[in-house]
Amino acid sequence: MTWLAELRAAALVGTGRHPVPQPPPELHVQSPDGISPEESLLGQAALADVATRAARRAVPVQGGQPSAAPLDDAPPAAGDAARLLELLLTQPPVGSELRTRLVADWLRLAAESERRVPHRLLPALFTLAETQPAVRDQLEPAIGTRGRWLQKLQRAQVTEPLPGTAGDREVTGADALEKLTLLRRTDPAAAVERLEAEWDSLGARDRALFLGVLETNLDARDEPLLEKSLDDKARTVRDAAASLLDRLPGSARAARMAARLRPLLSVRGALRRRLEIELPPAPDAAALRDGIPPPPPAGEPDRLRRLDTIIRGAPLDVWTTAAGRDPAYTLALLDGEPRIIQAILATAVLRADREWARALLALRADARLLSCLPAEEQERWLAQHLREGSIQPVALVPLLRGLPTPWGPDLAGAVLELVARKEGGYVAAILAPVLPAALPAEAADECRRLLGRSDDDASRRRVLRDVVQYHSFRQSLTEAFP
Amino acid sequence: MGRWSEDRVASAAPDAASLVAARKLARPGPWSGTGSNGDLVWGKCQGSGKTPYQVSVDTVAPAYRCSCPSRKFPCKHALALLLLWARGETAGEGAETAAFASEWAAKRTERAAARTGRPDARPADPAAQAKRLAERTALMDAGVEDFARWLTDLVRTGLAQVRNQPYSWWDAVAARLVDAQLPGLAEQVRAMASDVHARTDWADHLLLHAGRWWALTKAWPRRERLTQDELADLRAAVGWPTPAADVRNTEALPGPWLVLGAHRSDDGRLQQQRTWLQGPDGTVVVVLDFAARGEAFALPQLAGAVLDTTVARYPGSAPRRAMFTSPVAPKAMAHGLGTGGSIAGALAAESAAVAASPWRGRHPVLLAGVRIGSTGQGWLQDSSGQGLPLVDARLDHLLAVTGGHAVEVFGELEDGRLRPLSVVVDGAVVAA
Repeated sequence: MTWLAELRAAALVGTGRHPVPQPPPELHVQSPDGISPEESLLGQAALADVATRAARRAVPVQGGQPSAAPLDDAPPAAGDAARLLELLLTQPPVGSELRTRLVADWLRLAAESERRVPHRLLPALFTLAETQPAVRDQLEPAIGTRGRWLQKLQRAQVTEPLPGTAGDREVTGADALEKLTLLRRTDPAAAVERLEAEWDSLGARDRALFLGVLETNLDARDEPLLEKSLDDKARTVRDAAASLLDRLPGSARAARMAARLRPLLSVRGALRRRLEIELPPAPDAAALRDGIPPPPPAGEPDRLRRLDTIIRGAPLDVWTTAAGRDPAYTLALLDGEPRIIQAILATAVLRADREWARALLALRADARLLSCLPAEEQERWLAQHLREGSIQPVALVPLLRGLPTPWGPDLAGAVLELVARKEGGYVAAILAPVLPAALPAEAADECRRLLGRSDDDASRRRVLRDVVQYHSFRQSLTEAFP
Repeated sequence: MGRWSEDRVASAAPDAASLVAARKLARPGPWSGTGSNGDLVWGKCQGSGKTPYQVSVDTVAPAYRCSCPSRKFPCKHALALLLLWARGETAGEGAETAAFASEWAAKRTERAAARTGRPDARPADPAAQAKRLAERTALMDAGVEDFARWLTDLVRTGLAQVRNQPYSWWDAVAARLVDAQLPGLAEQVRAMASDVHARTDWADHLLLHAGRWWALTKAWPRRERLTQDELADLRAAVGWPTPAADVRNTEALPGPWLVLGAHRSDDGRLQQQRTWLQGPDGTVVVVLDFAARGEAFALPQLAGAVLDTTVARYPGSAPRRAMFTSPVAPKAMAHGLGTGGSIAGALAAESAAVAASPWRGRHPVLLAGVRIGSTGQGWLQDSSGQGLPLVDARLDHLLAVTGGHAVEVFGELEDGRLRPLSVVVDGAVVAA
């Protein structure tokens, strides 16, 4: 045992129970005679203190140093632009939702004028991005080379496998999924080719998981793999394939489903024409393969669910062909069949079928249908209905939240009219999170005017004030970037 | 003390905006009851409220007081008043000092006297002074003896026992040291109370500190035999303050002084601000400011600023504590901090410093060509591949500003670890 270790042992237990060592001869220190064990220990502790401090050596470096960041090619945002970002990050003068939007705006403006975030502000920005997806989505390209380098470093620290745990496989699985997702976004065909190449080496869980990646940018090229997956051993894989094929009305499976649906439909009635639907028969082997639920081992089979599956799989033109006219007319013939209309609606949404979505919107104010339409048409539709008042605003207002921002002047005007009404406070409250960014700059003046009148509704005043504040800050941001 | 020039007033402003606001106010309109004497300038300024703000300024040892709620210090009212005074637009000397101003001045004198332990107001009486000194040293001698006894008890029962002691046990020891006029030791004991719970190496930490304290109890009775510098270091360690007035009267070292870096520590009771400065001849000093919780600090100086000011040094070994003896005017920003050394060199310098002054635990170092390593608490690596662990470092910030490139780092070497305070990046000094 070294001198220091003995000294420590004696000190920990106490001199009453442990002998005190002698100073090591190398130090050439003679303990004075006639001192108590406590004094000897304390004296040697003093010696150890000075010796330790005077003998410190640089520690050998453990682990690799991160490689230095490459040089940034974009110049940093300077002057007012840098100051405004720092203000937003460190002492936001606005509420947290506005701040998130403004930081996202800053990043977008910086990207447009080819400036980057000053290095020193990156950590605070990343902290905000952790909890705010709107900021996270705008990080690129404004964070520049240094930002990407820092992100990589932080990610490496998070995914660093803990020593002694066998977490390697999990990491590679998640990693591969992430890579495939990325590839699918940029080159969908290459992604499905890679998946086909590796298909046989994948476990059932991974097959189902990776198949899900094809949801992005799905098209006819993916059909062979999906068709093949209908024969997969694992049910999760078969289900995943069937639900993806539901989105491809041109596929062979869709044609098979059409063949099942057609005989069930017939137009009846001479004066009041209506479309009648029969329930499908028990599924055969081919139908089971296509994902139609098998009869339960005991009790009555759920025939309606069978029908739903067939409707979702078949092309929608089976309906128009049976009715002999366009979707609107077809839906009119289905009046009194809410469940069928609901199934058709789900199918139209799945395929983002505009024609059907338009016809269905006349019956149901459904946000999913609206999102099938081009942004301009969505706005037109909403503005028109808000003004007509044919549909309760309560049903329409939630649809506004899903619209891309900023809105056009017509819709903005219609919404502000609604907000300005006596009972418009609740509309303002529902729209509070989206209104500042959704209203175009010109609408801010109208908000200023509305703020000028006497109004007891505190929450409406707050929302309007937010809009005004957002736009004036936004104005400073635009001016700060050359 | 003569009248200030307008430039001198401008240099006291905390920022440009305050000065602009002050210039707008510096007209006779809103002011009433202004006046000045040798030390004070006072006046009332009608603001937006009903009661006018009462403004007083001590122009000798600059200090400002205003009843307005502004957090700027000095506020625009004080600056405006000074501008009026500088232009000779206040009521002249001889006017009767306004009650609020004289009251404030009296309170300040009282406080200053309490702080230095030497009432300036009373004329020095050598006999009384000697008596007070004898009383104080007797008290301290007894306190040091008591502390030595406590240390021997500590090692007799064993250090393992004290880890179970509550904070109040340590606090009682610290309180006895405060009563014995040894506040410096008391602070160290209080810090130890939390260290024994917070640190994994608490046993070694406590053992070595007990050794250091023991050495101190041995040095105290022999203090007559120490050199002046050694004695000054010992006095600083036990917390026997050197009166600021004594320091002010020593030689003032001219600038420009470069701010190497600054650090604020907060141990829950008292906040300390350390500002490391380097003079034109390379002399390094540290300016200490203290503030109780919630109180405002002296304005922090920016790392890399070049200050046009003079400082006077407290006694002791280098690097010495210092105080500003003239108004601090930042005149430029430096592009670097000078030539740094290697990690091995810094540790060797620490060894030498320990030999010269064993009571000091913190050493300023400037390292050249070091890169930031991001594992654990973070560490530095120099060009020879040697490493030094960091303490209290904002790693993300350091990595973001340096990008993993080799930079110069200034910091405080403490317990074998470096607390980074500033970094030189792309020809600019930034706070670490």
